[in-house]
Amino acid sequence: MASDRLLRILGLLGGRDGSGAARLCEVAAEVTGMSGAGVMLLADGRPQASVCTTDEVSSLIEEAQYTLGEGPCVDAHRLGEAVSEPDLAAAGGSRWAAFSRRACGGGARAVFGYPIRIGTVRLGALNLYRDRAGLLEDEEHANALVMADVAARAVLAAQAGAPPGALGINIEEDLYLWGAVHQAAGMVSVQLDIPVADALVRLRARAFVTDRLVSEVARDVVERRLHFDAGE
Amino acid sequence: MPNQTLLVRSLVELADNLVDDFDVVDVLSLLSDRCVHALGLTAAGVMLASPSGALQVIASSSDSMRTLELFQLQSDEGPCLEAYRTGEQVVNLDLAAEGSRWPRFAPRAAAEGFRSAHSFPMQLRRRTLGTLNLLRSEPGALGEADIVAAQALADIATIAIIQHQIVIDAQVLNNQLSAALNSRVVIEQAKGKVSQATGTDMDQAFRRLRNHARNHNLRLADLASRVAEGTLSPGSLDHLQPGN
Repeated sequence: MASDRLLRILGLLGGRDGSGAARLCEVAAEVTGMSGAGVMLLADGRPQASVCTTDEVSSLIEEAQYTLGEGPCVDAHRLGEAVSEPDLAAAGGSRWAAFSRRACGGGARAVFGYPIRIGTVRLGALNLYRDRAGLLEDEEHANALVMADVAARAVLAAQAGAPPGALGINIEEDLYLWGAVHQAAGMVSVQLDIPVADALVRLRARAFVTDRLVSEVARDVVERRLHFDAGE
Repeated sequence: MPNQTLLVRSLVELADNLVDDFDVVDVLSLLSDRCVHALGLTAAGVMLASPSGALQVIASSSDSMRTLELFQLQSDEGPCLEAYRTGEQVVNLDLAAEGSRWPRFAPRAAAEGFRSAHSFPMQLRRRTLGTLNLLRSEPGALGEADIVAAQALADIATIAIIQHQIVIDAQVLNNQLSAALNSRVVIEQAKGKVSQATGTDMDQAFRRLRNHARNHNLRLADLASRVAEGTLSPGSLDHLQPGN
């Protein structure tokens, strides 16, 4: 039974165009009945990079988790198990106040995270969302588990061919590293004459007090609409 | 007949030990000990093939078992090597009667007090990873149920070893992936510093970093990390020549 499911999913992955990463996300959304999906890499409990997303909402969901450090993928990665929030807008709010507000504002109503891992080795999480409330059905949940497993093997297989210090080609295709955040951290570190890590903290603090995502603040810095002064 | 209660308990115990972070030698030592008790044997051991294909003694329930397993490897004959090479079970061999089959091993094992030898291949599909080896000091054959039980224990150990190898490979690849992603981040940080310090855009900052790395025969990632950490001032990088 389990292998039938795997074969069907591998068949879907093989039978369409586009980059390996993009197909992975599209098929993940399809077999789980979701509005969109994404694959995130995480390390030490924090999002590191996005391998792919199917649409703007799933990109926003990953960006919000990247900048806020909370959400279904962060928890799935940390706990090593699937995490569901079937109704982000429910009274009482979800466990991630800041993330939920962002995700709801973007059009997501239910979000799910599935750990992408092999044994004890945790690589990241599968990010799923739907524009209406509700849990995954049993069949969709079973498919999500298989998709997470396929994603783990795909990521490692891609990396297995890479030269030392480089990224696997199939990972690199659609990789998004929120580069502007790191560029801005570099710029602010020169502006304030402080270490880059401290500059990142300043960017996050600015994002928090102005109720924006750190990636949005970073874009303002890179495009030189925002400058940090030592006197502030 | 195997002792059913002990056998079931051994299977459960082995499965319990195959949690995420287990030690292969521990699990195989446990397998050897439990085989001895559940199947009424005198000694048991496990040999595994190294990547080059040479067998190594990994676990033994007793010192005399270990000595005998090493002796088989040295003399290049015996039930373990035969099971490994053929991929077939070598069971119910009466050591007193196998002097011509194993001229060196059979008398040595008999001298240690063993009467019969049995080896089970540890196989995944057609690949043999090693062998589970059993010895008995009393006369008498292993029954059909004993043979099935021993092979089942060997199969569990095989799955454990394969799973363990997959996890080790995954850990190495994941570390490489993480390191490569970190270098990317550091390059972005260095671009930001150069861009701010020299009043240029990100593209020019990147070209200047790359140009400096080439001029000084440095890896871009290493140069970027020195700039990002502040041990190299972003303004001190070589200037771009026209056309660069």
